[in-house]
Amino acid sequence: MHDDMDELIRKGTQVEVPPDVEDRLRRRLMEFRTRVEQRPPASLMRAPALRLLAMAAALLAAVAVGLVLIPRQSSASRVYAAAQLKSSQSLEYTIVLNATPYVAVDFSFLAPGYRRISCSWGIEVRSDGTTGKQIALFHATRNYVAEVGKQIESSDDFLEQLRSLPQAADEVLGEQRAGGARLIGYRLHKAPPNTGIPGLLAFDIWVDAATREAHHVDITIQEKGQPAHQMHIQNIRAGAPIDRSLFDLTPPAGYTAIVKPSGEPQTVPPGSVQNTWALRAEIGQTGALEAVVVPMTGSYLQTSAALKQVEAYLKTKRVTPVGPPLGRFWSEQHWETGYPVPPGTQAEAPFQVVSLPAGLSASVVVNGAWAKDSDGRWGAFLKSVIEQGYLPAGPAMEIWSGEDAKESTQSTEMRMPVTKAN
Amino acid sequence: MNDRQREYERLIAPIEDRMMRAVWRVSRDPDDTEDAFQEALLTVWKRWDRVRRHPNPHALVLHICINAAHDVLRRKVRRGKWLEAGAVPEDIPDSSASALQNIAGAECDAQVLQAIGLLSKNQARAILMHAVEEIPYGDIAAAMDCREATVRKHVARARARLRTLLAQQEEPSHA
Repeated sequence: MHDDMDELIRKGTQVEVPPDVEDRLRRRLMEFRTRVEQRPPASLMRAPALRLLAMAAALLAAVAVGLVLIPRQSSASRVYAAAQLKSSQSLEYTIVLNATPYVAVDFSFLAPGYRRISCSWGIEVRSDGTTGKQIALFHATRNYVAEVGKQIESSDDFLEQLRSLPQAADEVLGEQRAGGARLIGYRLHKAPPNTGIPGLLAFDIWVDAATREAHHVDITIQEKGQPAHQMHIQNIRAGAPIDRSLFDLTPPAGYTAIVKPSGEPQTVPPGSVQNTWALRAEIGQTGALEAVVVPMTGSYLQTSAALKQVEAYLKTKRVTPVGPPLGRFWSEQHWETGYPVPPGTQAEAPFQVVSLPAGLSASVVVNGAWAKDSDGRWGAFLKSVIEQGYLPAGPAMEIWSGEDAKESTQSTEMRMPVTKAN
Repeated sequence: MNDRQREYERLIAPIEDRMMRAVWRVSRDPDDTEDAFQEALLTVWKRWDRVRRHPNPHALVLHICINAAHDVLRRKVRRGKWLEAGAVPEDIPDSSASALQNIAGAECDAQVLQAIGLLSKNQARAILMHAVEEIPYGDIAAAMDCREATVRKHVARARARLRTLLAQQEEPSHA
């Protein structure tokens, strides 16, 4: 009987793909193949927005450092150079996150408030701070999201960040020549103010001795459990002519809009999946909490099993969780999951009690299956945090509510400590 | 050939034809198929790291394709577009044999597909992977991220529900 039904289904679906349809699908496959082959390494995909913001801030500080270090014997020169930069009508630079495969982000700013961020993995954001208009282009899928009424930091705002300037380098690296220019290198061992680069080992800025402008920056970082990694800021151009069409907010031909509800966050009925693009992180103070967690490494697919271990452990200790389970994620080499517990709870290895301090956080609750579109959700979340003028200041955290067996009851609170960008 | 090219050759290239067929067999409309296929590729792209590490990446990718195609089918059936398009004949050949035999004629695919469109997501995906793609239960379980017993349950329920739905489709012709 089973075979009959299976056979019927098989017969009902055994058709060949018509040649014209196959042509269309093969074209899609070719596009997809290109995307895959250009895909950045996983470690760079995980939190690109966080890195980008850190890097963006780093560049500004880097330019500032260059302005300070070279003419530091003459405060008049420094003031003049800083003023010159502040009055620049444009600023462009490229952050190379990875050399092979090439992963980079181009930044362009043009007064009075145009901004463009173009990622080598096919995402581009163009915005006009004077009108609050922005368009995000997703070249892989030929989609776009157009938004209005946004608070967009203008290039002037970015340049204003130059206020916090280090007074001197930790180390002079010597000279090198590049393209006929004589460069002088300076090293900082601590990240410049407001950059928040995690795991910074060295921040080397190379300054053109003739023009006193930053030529390029080499940043070496080493995150916990990871090999050292070097990134570069290059193609730095301040005040150079810039093509205005880079900031065109008109959707390119052939691109389809992803409709994003504007204004306040949507009210989403329980059980429905929230439109990822409608995510708006709420910034506010969150209270302290203690949790018993198990430190983890490797695939996040272990979350459910790990939580069961914590649950069983708490049962043996007769500790009742005071809230739904949660997880904090630094990377797949470093994450933890567990339950909030009453203050003063003790735990033995491999379990740990962790204290999450009260502080400024961004958060949003997303209804729908816990694992649903995690990458998309976090991308949109970080984008929202950054657009509101904040920077991530701690690990991503998820708090999962609802029933394990019923996706319709599930919701996820995404939360992340944040700090004001400037 | 770089790492990414090697990954594509290992993960996608061997099943390109199966991916296209899996979507077309369920969507059956050029535009819908292209949309569903694109949606599936986008999902695969987003979950690339998971696909790379998956014990049976081919099953996972086919599962994603079937999901996307089934979503299209469900929408079509729910909107009634399926019926409007005349894909399901009103008259089913009369026969004294079982409902299954009655619809085994030329129109059976449309009715079978419509019935699949009325199944729950898990049931439809499990039965399509099992009966159409002939993927072993263990691999389906890995792709659906559940236990093998759960997949078997989904398949059994899908068969039962399909039987009922197909029998219901037959009834009007006897009225």
